[in-house]
Amino acid sequence: MTTAPTKPARSLTRAPDTGQAPARRKLRNSKQLLAIWLFLVPAAVLGLYFKFIPMVEGIRLSFFKVQPFLGDVFVGLDNYVSVLTDSRFMEALGHTVVLGVTQTLGALVVGFALALLLEGQARSLWILRTTIFLPVVTALAVVGEIWRILYFPTADGPLNSILGWLGLGPMQFLNGTDTALWSIAVVGIWSGAPYNMVIILAGLTGVDRSLYESAGVDGASIWQRLRYITLPALRPSLVIVLTLAAIRSLRSFTEVYVLTGGGPAGSTEVWMTRMYSLGFQRNDIGVASAAAVLLLVVTLLLTVGTQLLGKRKAAR
Amino acid sequence: MDSKLKSRSRAALALSLASAALLTGCGSGSSAPAAKDDGQPIEVWARAGTDAATTYSALFKEFTAKTGVQVNFQGVPDLDQQLQTRAASKKLPDIVINDSAALGNYTSQGYLQKIDKSSVAGNDAIPDSLWKETQGLDGSTYGVPFSRQTMVTLIRKDWREKLGLPVPKTQEDLAKLAAAFATQDPDGNGQADTYGMTVPGSTERGYFGWWASSYLWQDGGAYLKDDGNGKYSASASGAQAGVTWIKQQFCTPGNTQPGALTAATSAATPFFQTGKTGIILTGPYNFSSFDASLGKDKYEVIETPKGSKDNTVLAEGENIYVTATNGKKDQTKQVIDFLVSPDGQKAGMTAGKQPIVRVPVNSGVDAAAVYNDPRWTVVQDALKNSSKSFPSAINFVPIKQAAAEALNKIASDCAADNVASGLKDLDTAINNELTSQNAKS
Repeated sequence: MTTAPTKPARSLTRAPDTGQAPARRKLRNSKQLLAIWLFLVPAAVLGLYFKFIPMVEGIRLSFFKVQPFLGDVFVGLDNYVSVLTDSRFMEALGHTVVLGVTQTLGALVVGFALALLLEGQARSLWILRTTIFLPVVTALAVVGEIWRILYFPTADGPLNSILGWLGLGPMQFLNGTDTALWSIAVVGIWSGAPYNMVIILAGLTGVDRSLYESAGVDGASIWQRLRYITLPALRPSLVIVLTLAAIRSLRSFTEVYVLTGGGPAGSTEVWMTRMYSLGFQRNDIGVASAAAVLLLVVTLLLTVGTQLLGKRKAAR
Repeated sequence: MDSKLKSRSRAALALSLASAALLTGCGSGSSAPAAKDDGQPIEVWARAGTDAATTYSALFKEFTAKTGVQVNFQGVPDLDQQLQTRAASKKLPDIVINDSAALGNYTSQGYLQKIDKSSVAGNDAIPDSLWKETQGLDGSTYGVPFSRQTMVTLIRKDWREKLGLPVPKTQEDLAKLAAAFATQDPDGNGQADTYGMTVPGSTERGYFGWWASSYLWQDGGAYLKDDGNGKYSASASGAQAGVTWIKQQFCTPGNTQPGALTAATSAATPFFQTGKTGIILTGPYNFSSFDASLGKDKYEVIETPKGSKDNTVLAEGENIYVTATNGKKDQTKQVIDFLVSPDGQKAGMTAGKQPIVRVPVNSGVDAAAVYNDPRWTVVQDALKNSSKSFPSAINFVPIKQAAAEALNKIASDCAADNVASGLKDLDTAINNELTSQNAKS
């Protein structure tokens, strides 16, 4: 293992005579390769065991009626058919898309606004940024329980009392079929926006200050500076933020599970909660696996799509 | 990258894939594995949290002292998930103690061995009605009854007396009491922060369907009808009276706790525990925690109020299941004989903080006398005279789930006249499920 770090020094001193000993160089090369692979092995094995083998197994199970004890029975595409023809799955898909789009855009806009407000070096800003980042590092299950309390649907619930001061009636929030999904989206935005803020902040530091100054000299308004300097410079960060957020929202489970469990009247059921209840409450692992594979395919398409879009825009 | 490097990395990748395949032992069998005795102590699993597991451990300690048979006991809170893992490795624990309702699911997965009822010592001390609940769709016996209980109605006695109201005798009385608890400030703190009933109205794990079943039966309805010979058909359409009553509770502000439609028991029960609601329909396993948080004198266990038909309540319980991979015949018989004997049943009630035998299945044991607590008389009487259980031969979980989803939909839309149409949809869902289980008549 010690060959790798010492190697550059040796090759420097021996540089003059390497040409005369190609065989030895070959040996060294393969030693180096061996070292590279040795270093890779732990990560590769872990990845293989905990990511790729389960993934392949999941894909395999999606074609079977899963009975761990009696032995699995091959059913071809039956599981996929039952997912795609299940009206509850289709409803869940609708909710997932609504929730995903709202959360992604909301978290992006709020994160962008936060980044613009909190950019700078002052100590007070540093403290504020840390405070605002806290939701991201808090366990989602805890966040969910706290928001359940905040959303308490009577007039003396925390959020409802604030609404009461403004003269607005008590809202049902998580308990109403019309408001539950939006209430969950707000929680998602609240916990997702600070993450976006950090990525965008990093992007903002890369913007050339002199551009703002020259724009100021040319008499550009704040809005124009945002539109023509900040946003184009942030494109790479925004693509990352959008991709990550889209994937995250498709997979959203914990907040829904903790906040409403998919109710009331199935109005907040999303793809993942439906999958969970089929797989682990009804023990229908085959159909749940098929749903998981479909989610994987959609996520893949979405990711590649966003990347392509970002690339094409950048090329223009 | 030069071609040599490429081919080398390819070779390395292939090698690591191959070794991984070797390590995981790819390939799967396709028939149920046979039972065999591995010479280890008999392994017993039960669905149990920490408190219940302590009681089980004490119980089996007593058993080992008596018989010399070693028991390897595990209390597993998420029993069904863990069982699946063990099923995948084709080696189930020897004995599983779990809900009587699990029987249908377990038999359909091939987990269980048939049990010869006559080989169980003292089998005639267990009522025939309980033995009947351990029959699979084929009529064979697949479990041994171990413990039974019914749901009970608990009322905040101090609140009721403060408002000068009588013990509710009917569903109407109960609704009135709930409304009074919500509007007349029974805790006297000057704020409108109390509610009537605690209801787990969430669809999660079918809680709503589980809670509602008692009220449906009380008004003469039911989710499904037993047509005999292991065949069933949906009958939810006939449950309009009960469902209408339930919907009224949800649509009268304050009669149920806020957020009831998305509350599982873990979110709902604290409302009663912390003095926010005054009525709860729950199992007697909650006595000990309510005694600790509210005080024994603050609440009463009442005889279930009558609906338009009777005062049936849901009965549940645990069975002892012998798994298909169990090859320890003698030890298994000794464990079962002890668990259902008067000594075993008493130990299950008193050996630890939380009873694992609630109401004994052995008719020679009197719950109220063992607990020295008249509240258990209510449970015991209800069990004997006016209780009903979900059919256990079929996998009832999906049906409970469908019922919860349908009821949740009905109760969430107060403006709509949706009871009849919602129950018709439920009938379709239940019949589809029965068909897929080959249990539709």
